[in-house]
Amino acid sequence: MKKRIVALLMCTAMVTSMIVGCGSGSSDSSSDASSSDDSAATTEDSGEAKDISDCTFAIVPKSAGNPFNEAEAKGFQEAIEAAGAECIVSYPEQATADAQITVLQSLISQGVDSISVAANDENALQATLQQAMDAGIKVSCFDSKTNADSRQVFVNQADTELIGQTLMDAVYDITGGEGQWAILSATSQAANQNAWIEAMQNVMEGDEKYANLELVDIVYGDDEPQPSTEQTQALLQNYPDLKLICAPTTVGINAAAKVLQDQNSDVKITGLGMPSEMEAYVGEDNVCPYFYLWNPIDLGELAAYTAMALVSGDITGAAGDTFDAGDMENSPYTVVDASDGGTEIILGEPFEFNPDNIAEWADVF
Amino acid sequence: MAGKSGREISITSNKSALSRVLSWEGALVLIFIAVNILGVILSENYTAANVLRQMPRYLAEIFILFPMGYILILADIDISVGSIVCLSATMACFAGNAGLPFPVVILVCLLVGLICGAINGAILAKFTELPSMIVTLATQIIFRGIAEMSMGSGGTVSYTNSADLIPLTTMVGPFPISFFGVVIAAVIFIVVLSKTTFGRKLYAIGSNKTAAYYAGIKVEKIRFIVFSLAGLMSGFCALVLLSVLFSANTTTGQGFEMEVIAMAVFGGIATTGGKGNLVGGFIAAFIIVCLRVALGLINMNTQLILVIIGLMLIIAVLMPGISQRIKTMKKMAKQS
Repeated sequence: MKKRIVALLMCTAMVTSMIVGCGSGSSDSSSDASSSDDSAATTEDSGEAKDISDCTFAIVPKSAGNPFNEAEAKGFQEAIEAAGAECIVSYPEQATADAQITVLQSLISQGVDSISVAANDENALQATLQQAMDAGIKVSCFDSKTNADSRQVFVNQADTELIGQTLMDAVYDITGGEGQWAILSATSQAANQNAWIEAMQNVMEGDEKYANLELVDIVYGDDEPQPSTEQTQALLQNYPDLKLICAPTTVGINAAAKVLQDQNSDVKITGLGMPSEMEAYVGEDNVCPYFYLWNPIDLGELAAYTAMALVSGDITGAAGDTFDAGDMENSPYTVVDASDGGTEIILGEPFEFNPDNIAEWADVF
Repeated sequence: MAGKSGREISITSNKSALSRVLSWEGALVLIFIAVNILGVILSENYTAANVLRQMPRYLAEIFILFPMGYILILADIDISVGSIVCLSATMACFAGNAGLPFPVVILVCLLVGLICGAINGAILAKFTELPSMIVTLATQIIFRGIAEMSMGSGGTVSYTNSADLIPLTTMVGPFPISFFGVVIAAVIFIVVLSKTTFGRKLYAIGSNKTAAYYAGIKVEKIRFIVFSLAGLMSGFCALVLLSVLFSANTTTGQGFEMEVIAMAVFGGIATTGGKGNLVGGFIAAFIIVCLRVALGLINMNTQLILVIIGLMLIIAVLMPGISQRIKTMKKMAKQS
């Protein structure tokens, strides 16, 4: 009998510790009391113009612990809070669609006004996001899109074709227009990665100029350093004549650059990367002559302005809508038709980071 | 039978009302109530409607909990169930996209699961010297590998005829329809375990396999059946998951095996075999689900939620040892 009483005591202790845990945990999110008040307001006056400062905006990035995602979330949060509104940053526990659904369902229960999501899977979020839209929540995507039915508008970091063209030009330039090259991607189902790779392949097939370039393999490093490193090593081993690896992912390019530098390899790397992580590898005689990216802080900021424009009723997500995005470079932005049948807003051209400007940008992000 | 643990098994039925309340299952009910009170305190959005609406994704997992309980009682383990879910869901998507009528799709989904489970069971029954952990580790990789290969480079396949899946998402009152599926499965599995000779054989094998063999129990046949059952229930899980995801991808069902084992262990089922029952596991499952929903509603860092659940698990498995130690200390004090 005693041991059962002990068991009960332990349970009480457990519950207490849970409450303590919650107390410390809730500090990293915004207060929830006000958000639920908002939800009541939302249902009452949906359709009318709303005061942004009474609304709650949620952002669901792809995963926690990725500096690029964190920079996006930072840009989003700053823009929302500058407008006096509530911001919730909800990272999923894993970089999977399953984990994002859990987080999204919770946000629907909280009755937020807007959800901005960087989808880990193009189709898997459809049922959940439609549920959100049915509940009167404005749904937009950024960074990595969902299918057209699950969103009102997509904030695209750069035109897919433009990225494909830019990266292919880089591949052509660095290899001198001939030889073997390979692609190191993130996960095999990442929608944005696949779209860029497809765009690159289209560019390559569409022009005789690229005929001497041979794409030998596309490997997937799952956007994690260890698998990306292993995949790079495997590429070097399997293709001794390899001239270049193109990694359109920030984690991949960083891991690959480290492998190439460690092995003193002649193989070059380019792609999309974070300046702060790539600073050590960029240079004329170094493994990475130059690489590209857009500013993730700007992307988050534009996602925030888009979400606010949707909630205030300035735009509906239809092509042709325009809205002001504060002091952003290309403001005002226009909603245009996307290739998948939905609509999108394009941030701008990819930005080239080279030995001349890397030091300056490495401090920024 | 093997009741030395603090977490009593309820096979022994001569219990008073008080001792029932104070058993591990009783404690779990109290924790369940506590978690719900906590939820209501933490967030005013913690309402029955919201919790039940968020539930289907978790309900899918609970389908696997029951056969996993059986397997753990057998002193075995099956870590391939997550991959079976992935493969079943993938094949169901392909079947649906090929234009097969929905009942056939359901059949495909369940059959793929059953076959995968039977493969596990057959290997384990044929080569008794192999540990189930290693065999299912291998099939875990194989099943997911097959799913990934059939999905091709995109790594995702969506169920295009989504109208088919709508009946699975209907709500009966506030309850999602899969909730009733889980309850029915729970009743069947609990009754079979506690009221039939088949259930008693599971405990006998888990307690002492050799003794059970010499007592005339067909150990390998039962292991085959139980592992096949785990495959079949993974098929059910895949079906419910499809109604949430409307698609399958390479990460579908990833980590389900560990989450389900966590629920079972928290519910008092010992991985060493022969101990525990599914009632505890069932309640424990809902404790974990409600806790996750509640903590999610206050936007707690998802990693921190995992840490809390991990801590709860450690405390739960330590508890019998601690109470045992206190008991012996008490005895020593009495003797001196």
